[in-house]
Amino acid sequence: MRSEQIRVLIVVAIIALSFIFLLYPEKGSVGNSIFKNIKLGLDIKGGTRLDYRLDLSSVVGQDVNTLAEDVRTVIRRRLDTAGYTEAIVGKVGSGEKTRIRVEIPGITDPSAAERLIGKKARLYFGEILDRTVSPEKPKPKYGFKYEGAKWLKVRNQENTWYLIREDIHIGSRSVRLGGEHVIDARPSVDTQRGGYKVDIKFDSVGRKIFADITRDFVNKQLPIMLDQEVIVAPVVQEPILTGSAEITGKFSYADAKELATLIKSGNLPVNLIKVEERTMGPTLGKDIISRSLKAGIAGLVLVLIYMVLFYRSMGVVADIALLYNAILLFGALAFFRSILTLPGIAGIILTIGTTVDGNIIIFERIKEEMRAGKTVRASIRAGFSKATTTIVDANLTTILAAFVLYYFGTGPIKGFAITLTIGVIGSMFTSLVVSRSMLEALSPFMKNKYVTAEEKGA
Amino acid sequence: MKKDDRDKKKENNKKIEKTERRTINGRPFIDFVGHRKFFISLSLTLIAISIIFFFVRGFNLGIDFKGGTEVIVQTDRLPNKVVSIAEIRNAITSIKSEYKHAKITELKPLAGGKSNVQRFSIIVRDVLSNVDQKNIFEKNIINVFKSKISPKLNPTIEGFNIVGGFAAAELKKSAFWAALIGTILLLIYITVRFEFIFGVGAILALIHDALITLGIFSIFYIEVNSPIIAAILTLMGYSLNDTIVVFVRIRENMHRMRGKPYGEIINLSINQVLSRTINTSFTTFLTVFVLLLFAGSVLKPFALALTIGVVVGTYSSIYIASPILLGWLERARVRHVRR
Repeated sequence: MRSEQIRVLIVVAIIALSFIFLLYPEKGSVGNSIFKNIKLGLDIKGGTRLDYRLDLSSVVGQDVNTLAEDVRTVIRRRLDTAGYTEAIVGKVGSGEKTRIRVEIPGITDPSAAERLIGKKARLYFGEILDRTVSPEKPKPKYGFKYEGAKWLKVRNQENTWYLIREDIHIGSRSVRLGGEHVIDARPSVDTQRGGYKVDIKFDSVGRKIFADITRDFVNKQLPIMLDQEVIVAPVVQEPILTGSAEITGKFSYADAKELATLIKSGNLPVNLIKVEERTMGPTLGKDIISRSLKAGIAGLVLVLIYMVLFYRSMGVVADIALLYNAILLFGALAFFRSILTLPGIAGIILTIGTTVDGNIIIFERIKEEMRAGKTVRASIRAGFSKATTTIVDANLTTILAAFVLYYFGTGPIKGFAITLTIGVIGSMFTSLVVSRSMLEALSPFMKNKYVTAEEKGA
Repeated sequence: MKKDDRDKKKENNKKIEKTERRTINGRPFIDFVGHRKFFISLSLTLIAISIIFFFVRGFNLGIDFKGGTEVIVQTDRLPNKVVSIAEIRNAITSIKSEYKHAKITELKPLAGGKSNVQRFSIIVRDVLSNVDQKNIFEKNIINVFKSKISPKLNPTIEGFNIVGGFAAAELKKSAFWAALIGTILLLIYITVRFEFIFGVGAILALIHDALITLGIFSIFYIEVNSPIIAAILTLMGYSLNDTIVVFVRIRENMHRMRGKPYGEIINLSINQVLSRTINTSFTTFLTVFVLLLFAGSVLKPFALALTIGVVVGTYSSIYIASPILLGWLERARVRHVRR
């Protein structure tokens, strides 16, 4: 008797917990659907997923994991600064197969975000050695003076090329000044020239170098480069000793903001190559949600009806078990904060299948025991003890397969493996514990119809 | 005396067998093992047809596997004109002549979306890895819809998928490893819990299911994308479940009916679990078939794979996985006795 009471207590406690996870208003959850605590994947709700590979050919002998972490931090910072705070930046895979995955929910035009992510964006100052106007890139110049110099295009000026050297010569020594010394950059209104400018601040090392350069460069141009482009080449008005400078160029607000973001968030340590993009409009997402919800409910109702028609009172037990496991599964998804993807829905369908299956295996066993002439109570006991091996063997093989999928699968397949594992564990629990409690409670009211039928026949 | 006893016992056994043959659990007893040669040849024929189609026709691979760019365009439905696929092909060929090989399909209208629209999926082989390339491509598509088809269409880009060759190759590679390691682990588990040969039977049934389902995708040239992989995995899990349930019964009956012919044991076991198999399959079939009825273009191939899979998986666990064991088990017993 005691073990039965404990069983009932566990059954009630678990369903209560599931309801709490499912319904307890979580911080940041929106809408008033009962599924609001379930996070939906981009393939269901719409949004953009971008996958990047690290171009390891450009960096030799560096640890891939630290590199990937650095890239993640930089992208995270860039997206935050630009206002994409809902975006998720993750690392998938390991070793040479490491990928950086950026998921941005709900935007229709991902190009602006993509521009920020992909840019390696090395910001540096330099010295102009020559200028020319040409429709194509001019031929390189040779000579001691031009060592390391490159022709770079000037932004927003057609056919204008500057010959830039990153080593800035001040008297007899040469210095370099790069974006790593910038601690802050932000857009602001340019009250003197109109439009927007970018204010930048250097760290203590940068401040010193910048002071040295500006002292030497009064009335000369000091170009600022971003990657292979001269963004702006302001003329130094006076020595700047405070470590604060501004990049002016009558930028639009969007340009100034992008520039500030790129400067502030630092340099990507490695080139990124986009290997995959998935963009799905929010209407398509709504369509998938409404269709699969309808199909799920219709399918569930059909199964519930079928079970009652076929198994009568035991069918009602199976139906309650099925609903129990559904709530358990969604509660678990909310608790683990798993993201429900399209393959995840497949996992749920398979879970409905295994839960019903568990009950059917038990009921068929109980029927067999009843046919053998046992009492209802004895049949239920024997039926459960025999069905347990079957259910455990069948479900453990499924979990085994799910683990393999989780380990080898990519994103969506992993989601499938997670829902499947949670669902299968839940269905084992529901069949072996929940259904058992219910059947044992019902057993005094059930009759062994097979015995009476045989007796009548005899 | 002793001889008489034995004869009586034999007669009794025969009687029991006879009654068992006629009915079991109130329905006819079906001889699954007796017809195994027919069903195994049927399955081999189906697999052979599938494999021939793999080579001759191949697969309608989505960009997940081939790499490429897919753009989904939505246009207004004009009162006196329906946009045809041929018109779109003409229009985009003016962007780049290679685009005449683009794959263009019209999609169903969305549930809950505007009803007076047409939607198209256009797939080209280009991998537009850089933002500017992508923006130019989008702009070109919108422009040719307006200039070559009708200026009133109001085309918008609804979805955009790019898969590089690298990602496609990686997907193929990981699918291969998952299949290999999965097979080995399953063999180990089943060998520990049952016998090695049961593992072989289960794996053969799984390969059977996957090949025939893929065969149907090849024959009807239905698009294979990465959700299809999930669907095939699901049906394999499902079929495995079915097979293991029969195996557990066989294991139990082998203890109970020690010395009886294996054919009989297997036949009895399948019959004993048959009503469970039918009920489970039918309820699962209901759920996936309803999904197929409700599915839009994204879910349809996925739901189709599941629906086919339930049927094939049920068939294989009844007619293939267990009967295939028979020959092996008998040979093993002969060896055992000789020893």
